[in-house]
Amino acid sequence: MKYILLMLYFLTSLSFASDSHDKNHHDSHDKSHHEYTNHGEHEFYASDGRKTNIDKSIINEISNEVKNGQIALVNVKGMVCDFCARGISKTFKKDKNVKKVSVDLKNGKVYIAYDNEKKIEFEDIKEKMLENGIDAVDVEIFKI
Amino acid sequence: MGILKFIFAFVISSSLFARPVSYPGGLTVMSASDDMKDSVYVHYSPTYKYSFGIEVISDKHFKNDYSYGRFTYLANRKNTIHSQRNLYLQAGISTSEIDDFFYGINGDWETRRVFTGFEYKKTNTVNETYSSKMVQLGFAPYLGDYGDLHTWIMVKLKRNSLSNSTSIFPFLKFFRNETLIEFGYNKTDWDIHFMHRF
Repeated sequence: MKYILLMLYFLTSLSFASDSHDKNHHDSHDKSHHEYTNHGEHEFYASDGRKTNIDKSIINEISNEVKNGQIALVNVKGMVCDFCARGISKTFKKDKNVKKVSVDLKNGKVYIAYDNEKKIEFEDIKEKMLENGIDAVDVEIFKI
Repeated sequence: MGILKFIFAFVISSSLFARPVSYPGGLTVMSASDDMKDSVYVHYSPTYKYSFGIEVISDKHFKNDYSYGRFTYLANRKNTIHSQRNLYLQAGISTSEIDDFFYGINGDWETRRVFTGFEYKKTNTVNETYSSKMVQLGFAPYLGDYGDLHTWIMVKLKRNSLSNSTSIFPFLKFFRNETLIEFGYNKTDWDIHFMHRF
């Protein structure tokens, strides 16, 4: 039994080391941070003119509650159930700059509405996702 | 099963599917009732990697009550866009007897439509050593959105070396927001699980 407990303790320590290692390597992976602006009531385009693939009903729902803010649309991996998404929502809502969190389970997307004061950092988002065991792939930012 | 016993089983219940580790800072209450035991398990997850807690058990086979201090560690997780795979190590030790302990491994692989899971657990008591194995399969008849009621139709195959028997439980699982409930029945026994996360 002692050996089992020691093994578990050892694995736990490894886990902390691994998390720390992951965080230290975030900086080199921020390749997908795009700025988008709303050019119409329901149309969203990237700064280079590309139309982006978003759930407009979610954007509209957020827009009804959050005025003059910005939305970080995060594509994630591993968010296969409602329980996974609950933790994500709870974590981001601790940030006073976050006004609303909406989840698109079907497409693996998380919409985080911030006030305009927040400087949105993909590394911060990625770290918070990882705290919940979910991998953030990229982020797109919209003004609303 | 009398109504009071049924209510007890409903309110009091551990579930493999109900992830044994929660989100950071999450407190989880689980209760389970099956042919071997009734139990209540409360655990806390400092990170998504592990949880610790106390399980109080009313043992139907040995006809006694006892409790375990439990620890679960997420040894491996693989995320893809449409799936997640988890492998957990678990161990527990009796709060009253050092020679009474268990250890095991369990895992799952799931998409939004399909769920598969397994568990192997070895238990050592002062008098006996036994093992239990379990596999479960399930599918979601519809895909709910965030916040909807989610429903799963599942089947669980359990084998316990103590009773030397194998049992199959078809069961239904429902979860919404932070609450999960499972009902299984195999003509002679109920298999009921309840979970709530805070």
